[in-house]
Amino acid sequence: MVDLDKLRTVAKETVSRDDVKYLIGWSQGTFGYRVSPHFVKTPQEVDSLTFSPLCSNNLATYLTLTEKLPVPRGEEPDTRKVALMVKGCDSRAVVQQLIEQGITREQVYIIGCPCQGVVDLQKVDEKLGEGVEPAQASWENGQISFQLPDGKTEAFPREDVLADKCITCRYPNPVLSDILLWDEVEVWGSDDYEDVKELDSKSPEEKWAFWQDKFSSCIRCYSCRNVCPMCYCEDCILDRLNPTWMFRSNNVVENTAFQVARAFHLAGRCIECGECERVCPVDIPLMKINRKLYKEVREKYEFEPGLDPESKPLQASYRPDDEEDFIL
Amino acid sequence: MNNKPRIGVYVCHCGINIAKTVEIDPVTEYASQLPNVKVARNYSYMCSDPGQLLIREDIEKEGLNRIVVASCSPRMHELTFRKTLAEAGLNPYFLEMANIREQCSWVHEDVEEATAKARKLVASSVAKARLLEPLEEKEVDVEPATLVIGGGIAGIQAALDIANAGFKVYMVEKTPSVGGTMAQLDKTFPTLDCSACILTPKMVDVASHPNIELMTYSQVEEITGYVGNFEVKVRKKARYIDMEKCTGCGICAEECRLKNRIPSEFDVGVGKRSAVYLPFPQAVPAKYTVDPERCLFLTRGKCGESPKCADACPSQAFDFEQADEMVEFKVGAVIVATGFDVFDASRKPEYGYADYDNVLTALEMERLVSASGPTGGKIVLGKGDEAYTPKDIAFIKCVGSRDESVGNEYCSRGCCMYTAKLAHLVHEKIPDANVRIYYMDVRAFGKGFEEFYDRVRREGVRYIRGNPSEIFKRGDKLVIKVEDTLTAKALEDEVDLVVLAVGLEPRKDVREIIDLLRLSQSGDRFFLEAHPKLAPVDTATDGVYLAGCAQGPKDIPDTVAQAKGAASSALILLSSGKVKVQAQIAIVNEATCRSCGYCVEICPYGAIEMVEANRMGHIVSVARVNEALCKGCGACVAGCFSGSIQQKSFKDAQILPQLAVLGVK
Repeated sequence: MVDLDKLRTVAKETVSRDDVKYLIGWSQGTFGYRVSPHFVKTPQEVDSLTFSPLCSNNLATYLTLTEKLPVPRGEEPDTRKVALMVKGCDSRAVVQQLIEQGITREQVYIIGCPCQGVVDLQKVDEKLGEGVEPAQASWENGQISFQLPDGKTEAFPREDVLADKCITCRYPNPVLSDILLWDEVEVWGSDDYEDVKELDSKSPEEKWAFWQDKFSSCIRCYSCRNVCPMCYCEDCILDRLNPTWMFRSNNVVENTAFQVARAFHLAGRCIECGECERVCPVDIPLMKINRKLYKEVREKYEFEPGLDPESKPLQASYRPDDEEDFIL
Repeated sequence: MNNKPRIGVYVCHCGINIAKTVEIDPVTEYASQLPNVKVARNYSYMCSDPGQLLIREDIEKEGLNRIVVASCSPRMHELTFRKTLAEAGLNPYFLEMANIREQCSWVHEDVEEATAKARKLVASSVAKARLLEPLEEKEVDVEPATLVIGGGIAGIQAALDIANAGFKVYMVEKTPSVGGTMAQLDKTFPTLDCSACILTPKMVDVASHPNIELMTYSQVEEITGYVGNFEVKVRKKARYIDMEKCTGCGICAEECRLKNRIPSEFDVGVGKRSAVYLPFPQAVPAKYTVDPERCLFLTRGKCGESPKCADACPSQAFDFEQADEMVEFKVGAVIVATGFDVFDASRKPEYGYADYDNVLTALEMERLVSASGPTGGKIVLGKGDEAYTPKDIAFIKCVGSRDESVGNEYCSRGCCMYTAKLAHLVHEKIPDANVRIYYMDVRAFGKGFEEFYDRVRREGVRYIRGNPSEIFKRGDKLVIKVEDTLTAKALEDEVDLVVLAVGLEPRKDVREIIDLLRLSQSGDRFFLEAHPKLAPVDTATDGVYLAGCAQGPKDIPDTVAQAKGAASSALILLSSGKVKVQAQIAIVNEATCRSCGYCVEICPYGAIEMVEANRMGHIVSVARVNEALCKGCGACVAGCFSGSIQQKSFKDAQILPQLAVLGVK
């Protein structure tokens, strides 16, 4: 069970350590049901840390997103660890970053938070109306209860408000951590990729029409790329001007180029945290692409990213008996 | 070379190879109109002397600084034209080839469309030519030594040739003795030379040659590095016998409690040996080896009161504490002469090899007729009182060759002739024997082969055309069910002995060598040569050469010839002392490298490593390409997410404009 006292005690001990630069956790947001990422540098700041069904954000993205400012001459770079609170899915992002050497194991201290699934705020809004005042939520006996600003409490069955990715989640417990805050939860999900199969069953023309419709609304805000814990090139190839892989104009052709390039760069790397889809302001069902590739990789190469830090990255490994029937 | 591009375009007729389907004049005219093109000409054979002279003259007179040759595949003549440019004082990498033969005239029939395509291909090459950059060819020193893997006749011949030319050779042989399969043979076709008699002098030479370091009972564990500079690690397996002390007297083998209880590898199971053994009497080195998988003392830690072999050894050569020894050395070239396996006849269950004692493979027969074999050259089957001399003997050819059902479509090249030879030997030893040979075809293609085949037939060996469908037992006899396809008659032939002319197969441990040297296999699973006609001993890995049956089935003369070829290739490399390394290599933009190391995993040549770099005060790890190792295959470029690796002459910025001309954005 979630134990916030334990969470804060551990956080306090962690940030007090000499070899820890700061801790990244979640804290109550300022708007509705939102929580915000919280960077804790001193023991005094730990009290606002929280963990609840509202903690959707995958904080692993900050491990690589943090800007590395030039080190002034004569000074040493700060190589202390970053402490990071992770849910199951977030931990897989960390593992995948370890696999592809985006970070090293010494650079991160992983605080594992076994998770019973986070909510989809759109589903919550439909039930409760869009809240403005800060509110809280918690897991209670298979339900998720909301403590509304007016003091009332509303509870719903988990399945009604959980994010889609959580309903099928197979890894609610961190796959890698230095310390686990409470007992692991029982795995409830199984994933047969029903949603992918549904889209797969359509004709190429129908699929093309579907995606052209979705991509035509893309405003190329790059939120999906920025929030993605796996998108962390110093210099994204799609940003370059010479040669220009993707033009700046916002139209369905360039939008498609962007989304296709991103999808293929994530094949065998996406760990299904669903952050891209959550932050998309125009509701493009991005996980449908990522999950399609996830399914193909899992079936064809018996590979799942973000599980074993010792495994070789999919795109950089080869077995003589790898399937290649799709190569012309 | 900061001048504006001044491009010369040369369109080749290639006789009528190109001119037949592509109209040359319109293409030349079109090329002359392209931006930056100063000269556009055509000629019947650009690769000829006058053709090349055209280019050289224009470079001098017109001040050309980029050349586009529209002709054949660059695999054919890129090196030719690079040389032309260099002779005219231009950097050879200012050349771009448009392939209007293999990719245009040879694959199209419609002249109009082919001409239009040729135009586009030329235009796209011109677009790239504008963006070409000069490249530098670097040279590295060559370590004057060669590693020969495998001590059969191929390895022996190659090693001797190289050693005689004055260069160091390290020969690594897996088994306790050199000699390979040739040592197991009785006579060789078609001359009937005694195999051992012609081979053993060479085996002795290998062991005693001052330039050859022979490592038997050893295995290559690791090969790193690149052409001219390979680093080799060899494991010398423990023989449990001190090589210095052993005199090869053989008393130990006589004393061994397992004497005559272990099937001899050399006699392919027909004969038996002890747990401490010399593979065969002429073995080189003539030193005994303890079989660690059979020896009672080594497997159970106990052999009676104490091991009788060690007690009996007059020179106290036994050392059961001996451990494997690792040896490391450097070589410039590697010759792979790992040989073959014979086809496992039990994979053709209809021939009953696994069921009947009197169904033998040809190699077993070879040991049976051999004067040095377990029966002293007498063809006797059965044991003790039941021993008998077979009278009706049948050979079945193409067992495991030319047979798709077992995955071997190829002809093993030797079986026709060794069958004829064995049939002859049978006749010699059992004059009243009835010998017949069941065959699909008789391939007697080599020098003296047809004459030998004729001779054997005149001796009374019957050749019956037909592929037996089944062999079964009836009483004491074996019955061969077969259709004589020349008379269309079904036969049931009763015989005493069946000899299966088994084909040659790639070795079962071929994977080990592939992993060591990153070699490729052809469709038949033998090692792939660099070019089937013009580079039959080279491989795609520079400095690695093939000899003998590792590359494909061969008889002894062909094996020796190829071994000499491989030795000559290695010698060219060693004696030149320098080797040019690929110039069109991959380079890493360390500023944008994302440290993922995918390229390191992807690189088939082990040419990329991660190194520490200082990025504005932060220590990051970035990829770096070893210029001597990189072959310019471009695999890393395709695998790099952040586009931080580019291949010289094939940079994105060079290729994309080229593609754009073809109508692809």
